[in-house]
Amino acid sequence: MALALAAACGNAVSPQISPIFTPADAPDLSLQGVALARLSEGRIVARGTADRLDYQRAGARLQASRGGGVIQPEPGSRLAALGSVRFVADRVDGEIANRKGVASGAVRVDAERGDVARTERVYYDGDFLRSDTRVAAAGPGYRVEGSGLLARTDGSVIQLTDGVKGQLQMESRP
Amino acid sequence: MTGAVLLLAAAALPSGPLDFKARDMRIEPQERRVVLDGDVHLSRDDLNVTGEHAVAEYAKEQHAPPRGPRGRKKEASDAIVGGQSVERFTVIGNVHVQRGSRTADGEHGVVDVKGQTLVLTGTAQTPPIVRDGSETLSGERILLRLDSEDVDVVRPKVVLRRSLAEEGQPVPVKVEADHLLLLQARRLARFTDDVIVRRGDAVVRSPRMEARYDGEGQLTKLELRGGVDVRQGERRATGQNADYDAKARTLVLVGDPKLYDQGDVLTGDRIDLALDSKEVHVERARGRLRPEAHKGERGAP
Repeated sequence: MALALAAACGNAVSPQISPIFTPADAPDLSLQGVALARLSEGRIVARGTADRLDYQRAGARLQASRGGGVIQPEPGSRLAALGSVRFVADRVDGEIANRKGVASGAVRVDAERGDVARTERVYYDGDFLRSDTRVAAAGPGYRVEGSGLLARTDGSVIQLTDGVKGQLQMESRP
Repeated sequence: MTGAVLLLAAAALPSGPLDFKARDMRIEPQERRVVLDGDVHLSRDDLNVTGEHAVAEYAKEQHAPPRGPRGRKKEASDAIVGGQSVERFTVIGNVHVQRGSRTADGEHGVVDVKGQTLVLTGTAQTPPIVRDGSETLSGERILLRLDSEDVDVVRPKVVLRRSLAEEGQPVPVKVEADHLLLLQARRLARFTDDVIVRRGDAVVRSPRMEARYDGEGQLTKLELRGGVDVRQGERRATGQNADYDAKARTLVLVGDPKLYDQGDVLTGDRIDLALDSKEVHVERARGRLRPEAHKGERGAP
């Protein structure tokens, strides 16, 4: 009360206690230890987990730390040849409405077929995934490093770009 | 060229990883292939292949044991390149092959890993070529065996520049045929179907011919079989078979040999033709001479 009065009288009295306020970008929802699943026609097409997930209604923004997920490609789709695809990243930022996002920090993708890809940052924009950081990938019969990545989410394009080098296996190991 | 090719030593293309570099790499799991684009380099041991694009196709019958995405033991950097193998590479655009001292060029090259072959083709304007130093061999289609020195050429065109040890300016020997098979182990080049040998003004035709080389890659002998026709200037000679001695530069015709020269017809047990001096030696000669046809010749009566 004394503080309120001092302020009303115009006295320059420094407050002794900072006011509690909510940052403008504070999440509307913050969850710890999250597990989620996406269903389509009664079938789980994707599952995900995160240590922490923050959601902001404005712009439908999503932030996840130590997030990961598993995608089950539609049978017959181009991705189906890879089997289920699992991805993890230290941090995921996304705008659900705009279908944009970025995964960063030890981004890793594993496919059931045996493919593994690692990079530090991947951008998601609509139907495309892009990376402008070094990408190391290996799989059945190949190992490759590239300076970038371009892929379509339907699997019709998976391309390492801007200078690649690696190895192709010419014969099965005994 | 054939001698040079025959001399080259190369082991079979070993199994294992093939190193590559390119601008981009496209992975097409459904088609079981990867596509390399832009300044492609492929190398394995002493074999180096470059081109503008390459497609590596994986064997269909082999499948990697499915591994779940969880519980991996190896990191990507430690991953073994294996589990599936490439059975065929197709390299397109300005294809250049180097193996040892041999180089080859074409527009299109296919490496069959299982078959251990590399097939080069080109266009009518730019046929595939194999080179060794100044020696060249071209044809419509060149098959290089990767597990031996053997080369199989469709419609070869060969210039035997260094194969004939000659004093002064050597006269190149050009050979054309429908088919050429180089057998390194036997130091043999086998030309078949419509063989044509040209040396200076001499043209020799035969259905088949074998060229034999010594240990240093020098041509020693040409063996023409199945009917031989030799023309040099107005002179013509025929026989069932002929042997060309590269050192003596003489062609010996046997098997009902005949010499036709300005109306003269000579036959004998064998006819020796010296291609440089144009001297002719007929053994046990018999025939018909027409002296009037030689009036005016130097030394003629």
